[in-house]
Amino acid sequence: MRHARLALAVWLAAALALPGLAAAEWKPTKPIEVVVHTGPGGGNDVLARSIAQMLEKEKLLPVRMNVVNKPGGNGAVAAAYLKEKEGDTHTIGLITSVWIATPLVSKEATVTLKDLTPIARLMLEPAVFVVRSDSPYKTLREFIEAAKAHPGQLKQSGGSLTSRDNLAHQTLQQATGAKWAFVSFPGGGERVAALLGGHVDMMIIEPQEAGEHIRAGKMRALAQISDHRLPGYANVPTLKEAGFDVSLAPQIRGAVAPPNEPKEVIAYWEGLFARLVQTPSWKKYLADNQVEEGYQNAADFTRSIATIEAELRPQLQQAGVKLAR
Amino acid sequence: MDIFSGLMHGFAVALTPGNLGMCVVGVLLGTIVGVLPGLGPPATIAMLLPLTFRMDPTGAMIMLAGIYYGAKYGGSTTSILLNIPGESASAATCFDGYQLARKGRAGPALGMAAIASFIAGTFGVVALMLVAPPLAKVSLAFSSPEYFGLMAMGLAMVVLLSGHSLVKGLLSMLLGLWVAGMGTDLFSATSRFTFGRAELLGGIDFVVVAIGIFAVGEVMANLEPTEPGAMLPVPKGLRNLMPTWQDMKDCRFAFLNGSVLGFIVGILPGAGSTIASFLSYGIEKAVSKHPEEFGKGAIEGVAAPEGANNAETAGALVPLLTLGIPGSGTTAMLLAALVLWGFKPGPLFIDESPALFWGLVASMYIGNVLLLLLNLPLVGVFAQLLKLPHYAMYPLILGVSIVGVYSNSSSVFDLGLLTLFGLVGYAMRKLDFPTAPMILGLVLGDNMEKALRQSLMMSQGDLSILVSRPISAGLLGVAVLLLVVPLFKRVNATRVQIIDQAEG
Repeated sequence: MRHARLALAVWLAAALALPGLAAAEWKPTKPIEVVVHTGPGGGNDVLARSIAQMLEKEKLLPVRMNVVNKPGGNGAVAAAYLKEKEGDTHTIGLITSVWIATPLVSKEATVTLKDLTPIARLMLEPAVFVVRSDSPYKTLREFIEAAKAHPGQLKQSGGSLTSRDNLAHQTLQQATGAKWAFVSFPGGGERVAALLGGHVDMMIIEPQEAGEHIRAGKMRALAQISDHRLPGYANVPTLKEAGFDVSLAPQIRGAVAPPNEPKEVIAYWEGLFARLVQTPSWKKYLADNQVEEGYQNAADFTRSIATIEAELRPQLQQAGVKLAR
Repeated sequence: MDIFSGLMHGFAVALTPGNLGMCVVGVLLGTIVGVLPGLGPPATIAMLLPLTFRMDPTGAMIMLAGIYYGAKYGGSTTSILLNIPGESASAATCFDGYQLARKGRAGPALGMAAIASFIAGTFGVVALMLVAPPLAKVSLAFSSPEYFGLMAMGLAMVVLLSGHSLVKGLLSMLLGLWVAGMGTDLFSATSRFTFGRAELLGGIDFVVVAIGIFAVGEVMANLEPTEPGAMLPVPKGLRNLMPTWQDMKDCRFAFLNGSVLGFIVGILPGAGSTIASFLSYGIEKAVSKHPEEFGKGAIEGVAAPEGANNAETAGALVPLLTLGIPGSGTTAMLLAALVLWGFKPGPLFIDESPALFWGLVASMYIGNVLLLLLNLPLVGVFAQLLKLPHYAMYPLILGVSIVGVYSNSSSVFDLGLLTLFGLVGYAMRKLDFPTAPMILGLVLGDNMEKALRQSLMMSQGDLSILVSRPISAGLLGVAVLLLVVPLFKRVNATRVQIIDQAEG
């Protein structure tokens, strides 16, 4: 009897401990699908393919990682696809701030990041304010003063109404009382061409992309949207240093999983990305692309998303957008 | 480095066995990707990108570029044989290519597509080599008002594509413009005509509409048994499979038109090869001595758009290589590849990476020759496809259409759209509405609207910005001419008729 009881106790203990043990050791058993919201060549598509490459090179993932493009609906199609994958532990998605903004402005985009499971923030993307090198403006302050003197005359090229470019435009206008036009272009190439061709006066651009134009003497950087100066832009003041104490939501890139992802799977991905961001490959990628490290675990990332969303709402309203939810 | 020594250096790079092999692999893959509807160069390059990390970047770039221009050669095959555009840039080839095939001239049409592609492709490389840096400056002079002028000129071509009823042509174009307007508006973040569907927030993919209207609509219209299924005639003998000398002479202007226009549109980051091929088709018809044959199987109607979409490839490399500015999905992918390999694409790229630039240019000469040698013998093989009886042919067309659309987006919703546009295409054929204006409206509508609104944002709402800039004013002038000339012709025809009657 005593033996039986002991056996039962041992069995119970084992039964209780085993899932815990198994939980710590969840591992993917088949290829991973990474869902991105752009077509091939888009920002997250390239990032996803680079991550797959780095994971393979650093031997961090025992299985292959395949990129799945779900373009359309400014992220809404990819978000909906991930939501349908509930229960599939072998699918993750890469997000940008677009995934936060789209459900706010389009009522058709019913899947928000609250429906999905954030797993890790991977990086922060700084940006720089640039003008043509023959432009009269040497600092952002000069540009803003000129915009104040001639309201609506100066122009900025950028992305859609919900893009970071326009949010920066709106926030700075709000803070300074200056007014300048924002001209939307669907493609990044067209925005640069509009600036270089003299059709607009200023734009906000990725540091890596601007770097070559600056080196060739075609562009000049006025300020950077970054918490501290980027290595490639040591002489360019941050917004705060330039005297503009405004809160601009950083452009984030991170990973999410389908809804209600099991804890052990989240833990696995958190751990994997935490190791990835320590590798030389990752550091080289950040340096090559002039982006900043910004790893956060699932809990912190979830809070970051909520903060960004809270900041985004008034900014979008200022920009004249009717919020959908 | 001057051009001659640069080119010699380039050939030395491109002709090493390894790089030559990469060029062969690239153009072969490109041809296959082009022939397969749905699967396009950006997706193929994306899939191959991981492999290229272990390669020498020059060889890898030669291969990826080979896929890019090789696909433009292959894209015409299904357009001509099955009325399914293999790439969106080959949609304009359907108009006359498929009609030629129905007349038993599939061979000459396929052959002409390859020859026009070769001529214009080679012209494009010459232009890329000789005038890339100065032309890059020209492309920067082009902004929203000029794009508006260009799109307006394209849209004015509706009068050329309408057939006998201008009203039906205009209605068809309006349908295309409406579809082009669907999705999230860039400027206001408002959704338009999305019917509550998240899938429509990004608008409707051109490929889905084109395949639905052209291929599915055509199959449905042909399923009505009017007479016991006569097979499409396939002439025997190599001579009948190749364009005749007369065909070549008829296409002299089309080669020039496709080459120059394709290259010019190519260097503009805001246009693209689909627009290039449509504009070139329209111009070819506008200047033709027998415009009534267009849409019924005019060989120039194949040569012009196929030439244009190949010259466009070289054109699109101009802003990419000289400024680091991508203008399309494929060039964005190539830019990403260059960055990942550790290059710095931008204004200094050519000077700092001469081996890559000149190697690429030289490889494109070689690649275009390879593609011609590869595609001409394939004409005979592909033309045999038309020997299939109807009960095999139509299911094949439907199958290829469905696979093409699904492989493009992996979306079942898009298959629903394919069916819908198939029905629209069928209804348009039954009601005798021309389909070309609808496709034209769809290709140009979105770009035209954006260009207009950007222009007005630049000028603070002043419409005079559209006519006060010389290029834009010139293009709008051509648009007005296109609209007015047929009117004069009609008036003149009536006048002649009246005089004849009076005299008779």
